Amino acid sequence: MPGSPKIIQLRKFLAERFPQQKTTHLLAPTGWSPLDSLLGGGLPKGSITQLIIPHISAGGSIVLHEIIEAMHQHSQCVALIDGKNSFEPSTDYPLLLWIRCQNVAQALKATDLVLRDSNLPLSILDFKQNSDTELRKIPGTTWYRFQRIIEENGGTLLTITRHPLVSSAQISISLTHQLRFDDLTSFRPEIIKLFSLEIVRRRFELEYRYA
Amino acid sequence: MPKIGTSCFVVVYIPFYFLQCARQKRLLQRAGNDDVSSKQLSLDVTVEDHYSDLFSSPVFEETCADIPAALLDDDGIHVIELNLAAEEAGIRPGASTSQAIARAPELVLYTRALSHERQLQDVLLQLAYSYSPFIENSAPGVCTIDVTKTRNQQSGLRKLLAQLRAVGLKAQAGIGPNPEIALQAAKIADPVLEISHDCNLLQSLPLESLDPSPFLLDILKSWGVRTLGALTRLPRDEIGQRLGLEGLSLWDRAGGRSTKVLQFVQPSETFEESIDFEQRLETLEPLLFILRRFLERLSLRIESVYLLIAELHLVLTLENGEKIVRSLQIPAPTRDVEVLYGTAVQYLETLQTTAPVTSFHLEIKPSKPDGHQFDLFQGKLRDPNRFFQTLARLAALVGTEGVGIPQQINTHRPDSLRIQTPEFDWSWHSVKNTSRPKIGPGLRRYRPGIIASVELDKDKPVLVQSNLISGKILEARGPWNLSGNWWDRARWEIREWDVVLEDGSIYRLAQDLSQWEVVGVYD
Repeated sequence: MPGSPKIIQLRKFLAERFPQQKTTHLLAPTGWSPLDSLLGGGLPKGSITQLIIPHISAGGSIVLHEIIEAMHQHSQCVALIDGKNSFEPSTDYPLLLWIRCQNVAQALKATDLVLRDSNLPLSILDFKQNSDTELRKIPGTTWYRFQRIIEENGGTLLTITRHPLVSSAQISISLTHQLRFDDLTSFRPEIIKLFSLEIVRRRFELEYRYA
Repeated sequence: MPKIGTSCFVVVYIPFYFLQCARQKRLLQRAGNDDVSSKQLSLDVTVEDHYSDLFSSPVFEETCADIPAALLDDDGIHVIELNLAAEEAGIRPGASTSQAIARAPELVLYTRALSHERQLQDVLLQLAYSYSPFIENSAPGVCTIDVTKTRNQQSGLRKLLAQLRAVGLKAQAGIGPNPEIALQAAKIADPVLEISHDCNLLQSLPLESLDPSPFLLDILKSWGVRTLGALTRLPRDEIGQRLGLEGLSLWDRAGGRSTKVLQFVQPSETFEESIDFEQRLETLEPLLFILRRFLERLSLRIESVYLLIAELHLVLTLENGEKIVRSLQIPAPTRDVEVLYGTAVQYLETLQTTAPVTSFHLEIKPSKPDGHQFDLFQGKLRDPNRFFQTLARLAALVGTEGVGIPQQINTHRPDSLRIQTPEFDWSWHSVKNTSRPKIGPGLRRYRPGIIASVELDKDKPVLVQSNLISGKILEARGPWNLSGNWWDRARWEIREWDVVLEDGSIYRLAQDLSQWEVVGVYD
């Protein structure tokens, strides 16, 4: 939704008044090439990226596994905040910190702790299995609070949801795909080839900063 | 300053040692017993600020020095040590309590703090050991150091005195060509004094500075001998004939000709602090204050031996006799008081006791600084201690089984996982590159499975009904029969089906004995 002229004017004023706030965004490569190439190198550091996967069986779990495995290949730790304790590890992930939450409130508290800790380069908040009723109760300010935290410590947060939810996300990506029954016996790279990853929203730096 | 090669000794002397120990214990107990909450409300200061002020305020110290104070013997009847203000008030060692109070009504009386004395003597030796390895435990509150081969005594000594000051001990140091002269210098130093054989200062000291026996002191005073100089002006042989070996020893010491050989000791390798509270503790704040004081002191001691703290061992004794013992591991050994304090506070904040606390004991386990060779491309943790504190908080939020590294158990039973707590070197774990082909999408599992009712047609599911999903099954594949532990009571047997519903979503159903469950969704 485009901002009103007054808002745009205010943002412009703030950008001129506080030029030091303007920083070049660094990227945190996930190691998973379809996502990294889409984003020009990786997830933006110090901001939230939202991955929207509307279908129930769309390949979201594949994305999750691919990112975790790619991070492992680069010996990078990753935190997975599992909003509904639904993750099924397909193999041993020695560098994965898996936080098995039972509900949204628990997951948000865990995310807050992990982001404030700032030890792990990438945190993934998976809300794909949580009900919309639960997710709608999250106050918008929560996402801005998370954004401020990772802005401070240079962390990276990737959220996975079924619908647009994270108001402070700098980039929103959509994965529209519907798994077929035959995919259960297909090689994973073959399934990934059919994925349609698309950036649906990219907030401009200034808009994002003064949002 | 003596040249290198000539004998040189340093004596670190803590004046009124027993009194200082007793006073320090009293201050800690006061901190534990004060009504903190009321002060917080009225003064609007934090608890720690309040107590830090209590200890470090120069006004408080001056006031303490001005107020007569005396230490009583174990029976609490006689005075055994006095501060200057008490001496000026006319109180003498050996006076009874009532006599002392009669001389100075404002007299503050202390009883001996034996455990505190032992702990602070350990502190003195440990800190002195960092200055030179040749140390002698000469007396309570006195440590003699052989510094013949050491340069820059003065600067090192001032640092040592500052460290003692940091642990709450006011000390002074003397440098001399033999231990006796160094001790005499230490007694009159402010805070460091160096004197030589022919120093007039030594000659003017009173005889009492050598602690002669009362019998000998009376004889010498009856002769009109009151200073060391007056004693050494008498012929040594004549003193020997009249006063015997004790007199000769005193004459030698007065003349700075003592040939005492130091008995070197190794300082204790235990690092512990403890306190018994006069009044029981019912709130956490006073305990936290004492914890911080203990950690500051222990950190300083451990620094002097170039080690790090790897474990905190806490013992809380409760009023009902129960003991709470807890060892807290420090993932990345450190001397940082804030990190150690944070780790201990995190535990204490969650601790619930059945009775008030009556004593607190803290011991630390030292460890050598460990070197790690980091791989250039490995993502190590920025702050392991903070990370492990976060882990503890996460475990408190989701349970210990709710956070960690997933590890698969060697079984065919679905959803068999073990959650392992990350270790210190977790972040630089080597990852094996597996070339196993990756097939199919992953499963998002419902834990626990959702009970469903499934209609079969020719042994194939055709309709499913549950709280989560309901509808006609378009296609089903299976059954995939799984079983295990047939040899014991934990026998299990599951039949799994993969099904597609009308909306295109793919689920996994499982039949365990006669019950159907929706166990997950493919995504």
